[in-house]
Amino acid sequence: MTTTRPAPSRTAMIEIIKVSKEYPPHMTALSDISVSVASGEMFFVIGKSGAGKTTLLKLLCNMERPSNGLIEVAGMNINQITGNKLAKLRQRVGMAYQDFRLLADRTVAENIAISMEVSYKKPQIISERVKSLLAQLQLEDKHDDLTGNLSRGEQQRVALARAVANSPTLILVDEPTGNLDAISTAQVMDLLSKCTLSGATVVIVTHDDAIYRHTHHRVMKLDQGRIAALSQGNHI
Amino acid sequence: MNFWFSVLRQTGRNLRQTWPTQFMTCLTVSLSVLIFSFFYLVYLNMLTAGDKVSDDLRLVVFLEDEPGPEMQEQLRNKITQFDPVQEIKFISKKEAYDRFAEQLGDNREVLTDMPTDFLPPSIEVIPFKNFRSLKQIKLFADYLATIPGSQKVQYGQKWVERFYSFTQLLSIIVLLSGLLLFLTASFMVASTIRLTIFGRQEELELLKLVGATNNYIRTPFLLEGLMQGFLGSFLGLTALYTLFQWFIRHFSGAGFLDIIPFSFFSPGIIATILLASIALCTIGSYTSMQKFLRV
Repeated sequence: MTTTRPAPSRTAMIEIIKVSKEYPPHMTALSDISVSVASGEMFFVIGKSGAGKTTLLKLLCNMERPSNGLIEVAGMNINQITGNKLAKLRQRVGMAYQDFRLLADRTVAENIAISMEVSYKKPQIISERVKSLLAQLQLEDKHDDLTGNLSRGEQQRVALARAVANSPTLILVDEPTGNLDAISTAQVMDLLSKCTLSGATVVIVTHDDAIYRHTHHRVMKLDQGRIAALSQGNHI
Repeated sequence: MNFWFSVLRQTGRNLRQTWPTQFMTCLTVSLSVLIFSFFYLVYLNMLTAGDKVSDDLRLVVFLEDEPGPEMQEQLRNKITQFDPVQEIKFISKKEAYDRFAEQLGDNREVLTDMPTDFLPPSIEVIPFKNFRSLKQIKLFADYLATIPGSQKVQYGQKWVERFYSFTQLLSIIVLLSGLLLFLTASFMVASTIRLTIFGRQEELELLKLVGATNNYIRTPFLLEGLMQGFLGSFLGLTALYTLFQWFIRHFSGAGFLDIIPFSFFSPGIIATILLASIALCTIGSYTSMQKFLRV
């Protein structure tokens, strides 16, 4: 087991302590994971398929519950909060899913706006934010297109735009560059870096070594549900 | 953007996407309201007519001989022993003759050769207004038939019996159509909401994940139920009012219908039907959400 703490000057956004996840009857997805991720940190989780990367993200956004251990996000045990408290926490967490989870019968703008509508943002603010994000991801001309008609790469960027739209304090991204070319990958990473600079914690799950090979951020490698390696990163 | 603005926008979006189902549900609710309120309106008007009939209800006891003052007092006591009554009138043979002649009007000459005492004397008993059930009237009539000297008791048995049977049948129909309204309003709305939930499972799941509160997800469905209840009952009642006006224009003042003073529902009853329909549809929507919407 490997345990790493962020620099003492930064408060922890995520605390994962001795977390395991088992699926019946005998499938262990994660085992004895302990790690802290600081506020404003960009954190990479890498590993082969089936290593437990996506399971870890699902635990972090409370889509699933751990079999053992404690997960705290922004100081709250996410497995103990329910109802409106959980909803409020989720409004501060943006997640881009591997399968995108876009509404195929809604336009790109409507899909991105959903995460802001639930926090009752003003229509004008929503509209401006949507346009700005689409410009950053080179998708301005897709504003009124149905997401069902977009390519996989475009859908992936829309999913990312939705995750960051509400300016969350924690952004969880699952394979953000899986379907993208080099230019689009650079745009996506640029957007995520901007989010980090503005104070958001970003956790990126990926197996695309191009985006973490030369990074100065911390990288955690999972192997068969266990932490196989955890680089310290240059910035800590 | 506040909560209600978001919720109303979401409701509008739902209605746009599922309007054919919503329209059919609204139509079903309005038909149920129309059927129920139609029978209820007929029932209420029949009760009013029943009140009028009861006002005119009198039991006539035909006597063998004309009673003297002392016997009249005895008979009066005997009648009130069964139940207090509003009025007891003794009609002598002569009075009976005069009434009959008056009823004949211009044809009274047919009585010219008849003796003035050919009609039997009688007692007219007018019961109190609360004395209205058919069973009570029958029991009273049977009792009056046992009074010494009584020959026959008349109160328009057949007509009264038919009228009361009809009112009873109507009350059963009102109950059944009320049940129909209850079933359609609650179950049809519940099914529509369930279909909407199934059709939008993916979106609802996403809303939860991006931090929508339970109220944000539930309220649009409750509003849909409420709107279906209101629109359905409003349409049903409007259709009934139109029918009622048509009926009044074409049939009032004609024959026996003239004895019934037809009237539409009072504002209180209209409000009750609207509120009941809204409540049923909202409850239907709520139960459906509790069952199928895991929020």
